[in-house]
Amino acid sequence: MRHGKLSQASSPMALRRYGFILSFLAAPLVLYVVFVIAPYIQAFQIALTNWKGISPDFDYVGLENFGRMFDDDVFWQAVRHHGLLLLVMPLATIAIALFFSFLLNVGGGQANGRRTGVRGSAFYKIVFFFPQVLAVAIVGVLFQAILRPDKTGVINNALGAVGVDPVGWLINPDLALWTIMGVMVWQAVGFYVVLFSAGMSSIPSEVFEAAALDGAGRFTLFFKITLPLLWDTLQVGWVYLGIAAFDGFALVQVLSVDRGGPDNATTVLPLEIWRQAFTFSKYGYASAMGVALFFLTLTFAVLTLRVTRRERIEF
Amino acid sequence: MTNTPREITRRQMMHRIGLTALVAGPTAGLLSACATSGGSTPEPAASTGGGAAKSDSNPFGVKADAPLEVVIFKGAYGDEYATQSHEPLYVKEFPQAKITHQGIQTIAQTLTPRFASGDVPDVVNNSGTDNLDTGSLVAAGQLLDLTPLYEAPSIDDPSKKVKDTLVPGTIESGLVGDPAKPYILNYVYTAYGLWYDAKLFEKEGWTPPKTFDEFKTLADKIKAKGMTPYAYAGKNASYYQYWMILISAAKIGGNQVLIDIDNLADGAWTNDAVKQAAAAWAEIGKYMDKSYEGLIHTEVQTQQNQGKVALYPSGSWLEPEQAKDTPAGFEYAMAPTPSVSASDAMPYEAIRAVAGEPYVLPAKGKNINGGLEYMRVMLSKEAAKAFTEKTKSLTVVVGSTEGLTLSPGTASVVEVQTAAGANVVTWSSFEQWYKELETELRKQTNALMFGRITAEQFCTNMQKAADKTKADSSVTKQKRTA
Amino acid sequence: MTRPPQRPGGRVGVFGTLSHLALVVWAILVIFPIIWTFLGSFKTNTEIFGEHPLGLPATFHWDAWGRAWAKAHIGQYLINTVIVVALSTFFTMLLSSMAAYVLARYRFPGSRLIYLLFVSGLSFPVFLALVPLFLTVKNLGLLGTHTGVVIVYVAYSLPFSVFFLTAFFKTLPTTVAEAAMMDGASHTRTFFQVMLPMAKPGLISITIFNILGQWNQYLLPIVLLPGNAQDKWLITQGIANISTNAGYEADWAGLFAALSMAIIPMLIVYIVFQRQIQSGLTAGALK
Repeated sequence: MRHGKLSQASSPMALRRYGFILSFLAAPLVLYVVFVIAPYIQAFQIALTNWKGISPDFDYVGLENFGRMFDDDVFWQAVRHHGLLLLVMPLATIAIALFFSFLLNVGGGQANGRRTGVRGSAFYKIVFFFPQVLAVAIVGVLFQAILRPDKTGVINNALGAVGVDPVGWLINPDLALWTIMGVMVWQAVGFYVVLFSAGMSSIPSEVFEAAALDGAGRFTLFFKITLPLLWDTLQVGWVYLGIAAFDGFALVQVLSVDRGGPDNATTVLPLEIWRQAFTFSKYGYASAMGVALFFLTLTFAVLTLRVTRRERIEF
Repeated sequence: MTNTPREITRRQMMHRIGLTALVAGPTAGLLSACATSGGSTPEPAASTGGGAAKSDSNPFGVKADAPLEVVIFKGAYGDEYATQSHEPLYVKEFPQAKITHQGIQTIAQTLTPRFASGDVPDVVNNSGTDNLDTGSLVAAGQLLDLTPLYEAPSIDDPSKKVKDTLVPGTIESGLVGDPAKPYILNYVYTAYGLWYDAKLFEKEGWTPPKTFDEFKTLADKIKAKGMTPYAYAGKNASYYQYWMILISAAKIGGNQVLIDIDNLADGAWTNDAVKQAAAAWAEIGKYMDKSYEGLIHTEVQTQQNQGKVALYPSGSWLEPEQAKDTPAGFEYAMAPTPSVSASDAMPYEAIRAVAGEPYVLPAKGKNINGGLEYMRVMLSKEAAKAFTEKTKSLTVVVGSTEGLTLSPGTASVVEVQTAAGANVVTWSSFEQWYKELETELRKQTNALMFGRITAEQFCTNMQKAADKTKADSSVTKQKRTA
Repeated sequence: MTRPPQRPGGRVGVFGTLSHLALVVWAILVIFPIIWTFLGSFKTNTEIFGEHPLGLPATFHWDAWGRAWAKAHIGQYLINTVIVVALSTFFTMLLSSMAAYVLARYRFPGSRLIYLLFVSGLSFPVFLALVPLFLTVKNLGLLGTHTGVVIVYVAYSLPFSVFFLTAFFKTLPTTVAEAAMMDGASHTRTFFQVMLPMAKPGLISITIFNILGQWNQYLLPIVLLPGNAQDKWLITQGIANISTNAGYEADWAGLFAALSMAIIPMLIVYIVFQRQIQSGLTAGALK
């Protein structure tokens, strides 16, 4: 509709218009096709071969790699871990981030007729964002020392001071994945605090004032007003965190026992793809797993966008 | 090589023969069938002014100005031995040659794409946790057959072939493929066993256990002292532990147990010897705190240096690896693994002592002749001696330790080797041949040692994994007979 | 940092106390590991692995920093990373805003298809492409060069940036652009002189996303800047390398020093620009 006027242009205008479109799209499109699309298409092709990745020779084996994948326990373990990550990690991150951003923006009561955050809001907003500026590789190395399973680990040492026995954060198979999720949440929360704070500050203060006049408490304010008005931002955050839940490679590789252990308790698909390709020289099989990961991520993204689609609340 | 001609004195000669016997003795017995007897042949004291005759000094016809790219695994041995000795020695021969050196840890990740693209380095020290799958490389025709190297004249004595200057069994340990050809040069003479602080044991009146019963008695005593009796690093070095299990299995049932495992023989893992070995070690695992599963090898080794861990399973690179952290008064010593029962096929003294630390030459390297020559340089006495000096580790080059004072750990290794005589546990090739099986073994070893599965389950799970590898058409199968 | 409390008294209560406590605890959780890393660089191995990992170091020596600086080339890697990320973020923004603008405001045959092509890239796992990508980059002679890394970073940042910027351009009012066109401005001029300034808030927020994402890249540099291009390495590679090295050489203080060297500049840059970053995100969220 809004394109109406532009597309009604006369013939030399149309030519100029197409010339412009072409000149603007050419560079990004060429770059994207050569470096992103083409390699991915090749990966789909490799998934049908027994290529080892260390020489140019390979044979087509049809869907054999996919058959192998369906019988592969480790593959399914990894898929289950993504399911759990997808369920818990974004939810925990968003919940904590929402809580904090609510405190930092509207939780402090009224001042001069405006809702404000609690004392020190600006300071907390800066500090909470810190983990986001640290590279994942750094976070991994850092937490290696913090989570060390004996008394030399930072957390266990602190626990020891109050008489608690060391906890095997990463060596207890029932706990390891949760620990890694904890690290992911630790790193992500700050970013979403800032993102949600931005969303909240964009909610007109009259909305809060009107609600406050009606005698709404903090909880009503949060659930009845803040949350619905933030829905769009939440959705973006959810998709972003969900895509992150399909990764986890760097942290698992650095932190876990035997890379994905103990007993595969923390393995994720990217790690298995990496192992199949670079340790076992089964590039064809690794690519088949990659194709599976692609469809999983795609399904998630499409589903989320469909399910969470709502009417925008206009104000 | 180009060093001044040396006159070998009588004393040096005696020294050489003596050490040769010590070092070569054990394997010589085991591998006499297929090994060329090189070590103990006293050669005439020929003056070797290498570099005089072109053909002799350049048997592979290396182009003098061809660059050479060397990739060294920068682990326990570091890479100074390469940058400060091996590479300069090569450049001394070919002053116009430019050497590109890389010391890295992630060999497989760094080099896999390069093999795929055909742009490969010339020499690769394929070692560490992230090493390349040699079996696949050989199957893909990516590695160079090292036969010409072994047939070439030695740098120290052109009248001898390189193969005659090596500890027997060296070449055999690097055979891959069917028909088997030497694709791997295992450069470091490595002994495996239980490492401890000799000074501490002396002070406490402890002796390394000869049987698993003794092991448990000793472990109780050590535990009473507030120390951890035995520990390994589960996070990244569970293979140190599976070596111990495999060595025990071989001691119980003979080397055939390990050969069967390598050959993916039916029921190789459910063999009674493997079961007994796994069960015996699982008992020792109970003395280990759970936290060791989450530590890496240097962390556990540092603990041992600090007197928190008594016995630690490792190979003879341990002493150099910990050199910086070993406190004064800590004296490394190695003991064989304990016997499981009185009916063991091999005596307590038996140890695994083999050529280790693999070097390979990519077949598509731009300077393959240079690669061969680099290896020939490595196998010269000067290079080997420099290696031993820098890394406190023995090489497979016979007589290269002359004139060196051995460190306590190395001296202890020589002593243990002498006691072992011909009772040598063979190496395991499946670690290099079948990475997927090896990865599974690491996982199962942790599960066994930290009490999540029984020895019975350990064997069943491993047999399942071995059968899976055997049935996997995409894995190239290898065989060995001895 | 704090604003004068002008709220009516007596409204803090239990909830207020608890929420303050939560904020303080999380702040400690965030700051403590960073401080601990910094202190770790002054400790000996025994202090790090001893009974009191939480204690202060006995002496403050800068040896480990010297080692990390000299041996681990952290400075070099930081500079490399800044150059690469600056260039690739700039080109990502330029190319993606061009593409997004055209896709958002012009209708032409295939526009929907091209849009979907870009968006589908959001769900591709990078892993899948590693070896084919390596071969492509190598065949173009760009392996082990920063140019190669920049181009690949730009290509892999396009899906996300095009997706969000297209949405953003769609929300901008059309009248200003139309007026400019009426006045005879070309399409290109309209874009650069009218639309881009209008889109500034959205551009800033996507820029921040890209800087953070590219700064943290770990996999692509490993593959694109292999070991024989060590002088061109990026910071994440450097850190990973020191970490493995520390494992083999047991130089934990050196590791902590290197980590501190990588962390501190980023924190300073962040603190200096935090206002812009937060307002950029605010603008992005406003859509």
